[in-house]
Amino acid sequence: MSIGTEVDVQAGTVTSPPTPATGRHTARWVAVIALAVCAGLVAVLATRPSAQTVAARSPLVDTHAVAPPIAGATLDGASYRLPRAPGHYVVLNFFASWCIPCQEEGPELVAFQFQHQSTGDASVLSVVFEDTVGDARAYQQKLGVTWPTMADNDGALALAYGVRSDPTSFLISPDGRVVASVTGGATAKGLDQLVARAEASGYGT
Amino acid sequence: MNGFLGHTGVLLGFGGAAVGIVVLGVGLARGRGPAMRGARVYAPLILVGGVIAVVAMERALLTHDFSLSYVAANNSRSTPWLYSITGLWSALAGSILLWGVVLGGYATAMVWRFRRRSGDPLVAWATLVVYVVAAFFFGLMLGPADPFKHVAGAVPTNGPGPNSLLQNNPLVLIHPPMLYLGLVGFTLPFAFAVASLITGRLDEDWQGETRRWTLFAWAFLSMGILLGAWWSYQVLGWGGFWGWDPVENAALLPWLVGTAYLHSVMVQQRRGLLRIWNLSLVVAAFSLTILGTFLTRSGVIQSVHSFSESTIGPLLLGFFGLVLCTGVGLIAWRGDRLRSVGGIDAPVSREGAFLANNVLFVGFALVVLLGTVFPLLYEALDNGTQVGVGAPYFNRFFVPAGLALLFLMAVAPALPWRKTTLEVMRGRLAVPAVLGVLVVVVCVLAGVRGVEPLLAFGLGAFAAASAGRALVLSVRGAYRGARSAGASGGRAALTGWRGFVGRANGGMVVHIGVVVVAIGLAAATSYLHRGQLHLATGQAGSFSGHTVEFLGTRVVSSPSHSSYQAVLRVDGGGLFYPAVSQFGAGSATVGTPAIDSSWTNDLYLSIATNPKGAVWAFGVVEQPLVMWLWVGAGIIGFGSVLSAIPGRRRRPTDPVSAPAVEVAPPVASGDSTPVAGPEDRPDVDVDPLPVATGGPS
Amino acid sequence: MRRHRFPLWTALGAVLVVALVLGSGLLTSSPPTDAQRAAAIESVVRCPTCEDLSVAQSTAPTAVAVRAAVTQQIAEGRSDQQVESYLVERYGSSIVLDPPARGWSLLVWLLPLLGGCAAAVALGVVLFRRRRLSGPDGGRPGPGGPGPDLTPEAAAERRTFLARSLADADAEYLAGDLSDQDYLALRQRDMVRLAALEARTGEAAAVGPAVTQAAVAVDERVPEVGIATAQRAGTAVSTAPGAGARPRLRLRRNTWFLVIGCVCLASALIVAVATFASDRQPGQSATGTFAQTQAQQTEESLAQAATDENQGQVGQAAQLYQSVLHQHPDNEVALAQLGWLEFETGRQGNSASLIADARAKLLRAVRLAPSDYAGHLYLGTLLLQRDGNAAGAVAQYRRFLADGPPAALVGQASPEVRSAFQQAGLPVPAAVAGA
Repeated sequence: MSIGTEVDVQAGTVTSPPTPATGRHTARWVAVIALAVCAGLVAVLATRPSAQTVAARSPLVDTHAVAPPIAGATLDGASYRLPRAPGHYVVLNFFASWCIPCQEEGPELVAFQFQHQSTGDASVLSVVFEDTVGDARAYQQKLGVTWPTMADNDGALALAYGVRSDPTSFLISPDGRVVASVTGGATAKGLDQLVARAEASGYGT
Repeated sequence: MNGFLGHTGVLLGFGGAAVGIVVLGVGLARGRGPAMRGARVYAPLILVGGVIAVVAMERALLTHDFSLSYVAANNSRSTPWLYSITGLWSALAGSILLWGVVLGGYATAMVWRFRRRSGDPLVAWATLVVYVVAAFFFGLMLGPADPFKHVAGAVPTNGPGPNSLLQNNPLVLIHPPMLYLGLVGFTLPFAFAVASLITGRLDEDWQGETRRWTLFAWAFLSMGILLGAWWSYQVLGWGGFWGWDPVENAALLPWLVGTAYLHSVMVQQRRGLLRIWNLSLVVAAFSLTILGTFLTRSGVIQSVHSFSESTIGPLLLGFFGLVLCTGVGLIAWRGDRLRSVGGIDAPVSREGAFLANNVLFVGFALVVLLGTVFPLLYEALDNGTQVGVGAPYFNRFFVPAGLALLFLMAVAPALPWRKTTLEVMRGRLAVPAVLGVLVVVVCVLAGVRGVEPLLAFGLGAFAAASAGRALVLSVRGAYRGARSAGASGGRAALTGWRGFVGRANGGMVVHIGVVVVAIGLAAATSYLHRGQLHLATGQAGSFSGHTVEFLGTRVVSSPSHSSYQAVLRVDGGGLFYPAVSQFGAGSATVGTPAIDSSWTNDLYLSIATNPKGAVWAFGVVEQPLVMWLWVGAGIIGFGSVLSAIPGRRRRPTDPVSAPAVEVAPPVASGDSTPVAGPEDRPDVDVDPLPVATGGPS
Repeated sequence: MRRHRFPLWTALGAVLVVALVLGSGLLTSSPPTDAQRAAAIESVVRCPTCEDLSVAQSTAPTAVAVRAAVTQQIAEGRSDQQVESYLVERYGSSIVLDPPARGWSLLVWLLPLLGGCAAAVALGVVLFRRRRLSGPDGGRPGPGGPGPDLTPEAAAERRTFLARSLADADAEYLAGDLSDQDYLALRQRDMVRLAALEARTGEAAAVGPAVTQAAVAVDERVPEVGIATAQRAGTAVSTAPGAGARPRLRLRRNTWFLVIGCVCLASALIVAVATFASDRQPGQSATGTFAQTQAQQTEESLAQAATDENQGQVGQAAQLYQSVLHQHPDNEVALAQLGWLEFETGRQGNSASLIADARAKLLRAVRLAPSDYAGHLYLGTLLLQRDGNAAGAVAQYRRFLADGPPAALVGQASPEVRSAFQQAGLPVPAAVAGA
């Protein structure tokens, strides 16, 4: 019971089907609209960067918020406070010993600290994130870390800074504001550039 | 050697597809029948190529041949043989290989099934489309997703092994192949849809063929999705089985559209209506499988299920665009001329119910699609700000749609075609409705609270009773048919089994399975109790009526993994071992839960935090009726099998309530190729009339 | 004789509505407690380090920290909106599982609603399209109606469709699925269309005579419609006396087994439901919370307070008892326990007012619940230790022992009880005699 098209099997051709009997072109219009919408969808999908690189822009950075204060004892027992006077740049680094990007950025941070130690305009503070204190301490010792590390046992510090993945670093200006954040592995050069940019735009002394 | 063999296989598959395209193209353009018939041979060639490649890859995995970078990244010397085998589909390139070989299998099945009609341009166009898709996927394997790429640099001596979550549970052996059998299976209906549009032949016979293939693919996809839920439940540790994760949604979308198609194609077979709508559904289902493949493998969406990011994203997106342009473009060009004439006679009829069913399924599929891609859209619109769309959004639409679908499931089996009145419906649905209300009342009296679950239980009972009614009537019709054909009482009673097979009856069993799943879902999500128990060794705690005693710990290690287990005794009975496991030294630990399942509820135990000191924190989740989800999945699978067994060959135009007539095959035979004759049908409150059923055509 | 029809569906509807209203817990609900508000917020906040899990579902350390922050914020009196903003300020807007309903993200809510309306409209148009029967030129073009000139193929297609529809309607009617009116209406409609089609094409094609023959044959059967109906009704008369032309609810003998099957299914469901629902409180759903009944809330608070007391967190326990007493000033358990706590605290801190308060509570507790052993025990101890009133203490202890206290508690209290009896110069009861 096929509709009235004659198919010439030998020729493999098809005679054209009858014209639309009712003169309506509903299918065509719906199809065109659907095609347009899907073209838009494809355009959007084609221009998306990978989810890894997009993850979490920090709202603290977006609003140049005042850095949530930090006060407590480091792993060595000394006390640490932020904000502190006289102010300088602080790289606040959340890390864990088991995460690969943290292990990759460790030497970079050591280099950064070494460069700025003499001028004293920037220092690093590490905070343990989703790791045990023992493992973190061992990792820091193996890395040869000279800057203070704080434990964050109840996760309050990570919450205050909105940390969602390892490693995340925040650049805090001398006047106590969060000016930049780096997710997923900082480099010494990158941090230097951030500091320079912050200086140029007027944060800091 | 493995790499060489694998490359040969992939090349063979691609070559077969490419040459097949050329030959068919020439045959169709010049109208050469022999060319079209001769192109049949390339489908088995594609399959052979795929099989060679699979054999090569499995050999490499089982012998730990680390000269292949795929094996080096996804296998280790200590990986057990089961997880070496499943390593074939544990990562991106291998999954494309699995796709290719399954597609080769489907292509071969198709050309074999239609071998007598291979000179028909419709079949030729369909084969051409399948070859194009096969060429694309094998082409991916020649380029960016090459599973047999040689490792760069020195050959490593050991590898990291598969992802920890993928070696935790043997279900990884079944779930991906089932899923792929389902997803890839939608290629064939799409091929036939495109061929129908090109040749302009939309008659109902071809729709019948397409429907059968779609049912086959749909059944595997359903099983794949439900097995995936079960696997998530057993492995992921948060006690849930469906998180509206983008990858889960990617498999759900073709399923929703496929279910809509399986119902609306019945309207086409019976009344010749909704032709273009059905074609659109088939095109949409296949396009959604490609879109899902893109979302899973391109890295634009983060998900616990997604494969690693790679460069095949733009290629998959391009193919998606091509598929969409072809399908939708053909519909735009030809659709209006090929529309069915006539319309639906009355809203209260089975056609109307199927239309409502379609609107609900397709509407919900659009909502799921919107929710899944919306974070990307928003990011594009709002210049980088991110927004999340999670489970609460999807559930808000899922609950009303699901309840409406349960209601339709209850009403539709009793609805006649064409037109009916409420009087007739009231008569037929009285008993199921009473049962549904009874269930609600009993639940309320027993202390169950909450409108949504109560409605789910009531409507579920209503739907199950309605499906049961249809099955009972069908069995009775088979019995009567056998009796009227002269069989004795006992023989005829045995023939009652025929009331369970066939399209409609298998469908009723599937409906019952869906109701069981719905009830389990409603109970588990509404009455879930979640908490933590802090226990020291030897201490017992109680949670929601269960006592959990922490007996001690033990360490179980094997070459491939070591796991630190807690020994818990639940309710003074069985022992359960939630654990923290590490697969391969230096990799992250994953939690492995332990589940105390029973028919009434599941107690889900996991280690909540890395234990420190003497007191351990255990996460405990209690969910009622979870076991019934998996039972319902089994019923759905069983019903699909029943649906595939041919009942007495029935003309789709025969009335639903026609009495069983005398033209019945002999009772004793198990004849599998029945001649055309009316199927035994459920008869309603009417004894067979002494009037032959008229009805020409 | 027409049998009075039982209004089954009205009854069913009424029962269902009543059951649902009762079952929704609306009648017994109260404003959500802090714990419920926290749980509701936790179910819509994403766990920061997980994929797609809410902090309620996750056991990750960041989720635990967020849950603690939510609880603390609520305890400090912030509203739900403020708690969410607190988290969004720190984590960004993607921390909330639900997209906000403002700005561009309004689209994700609007589009489904608009789509739903459009779908409903389209469905209505397709299903309820009125087909004008007033003649070949009336109304919208349908099959056989006016439109561009028909090619022979299109005309043949329509003719086939109409013939098929007519035959289909015949078969449905004879099988009993179509009522008389429906059958006549459908047949007439299709006949009219067929006639219009013939008029347009102007010829009776090969298919024509057969169709008109079938139509005529059907026409001839029209007078038999009534007879056929009567025949059909007649076969049903035997079990449904008085059934007229309209089908009714009929319970036939051979559908009883269907009913029995349903009853078996129902009983299985009842057993399953009763087993899991018997000693259970309904918890939260994934999409929202239910309010627990007041009684359940009180139970929970008391249980939590008892646990706190056992763990030595007296302050928290006292707070919980106070909150219970706010809602139920006559709850004897809370009165007795709080009274005891106050007495202990007052004794340690030497606060006469606290002790007076404790005394008032304990007196009230024993008055309200004379058969509750705890109040008697506590009051007796207070009388003995504070007032030195051995006789009064003995009276209370007698009531305590008579109320069936658990053996462990008797053992704990026996030194006090013995000393009271000895001070009063009375023989020590056997229950507390012995070491």
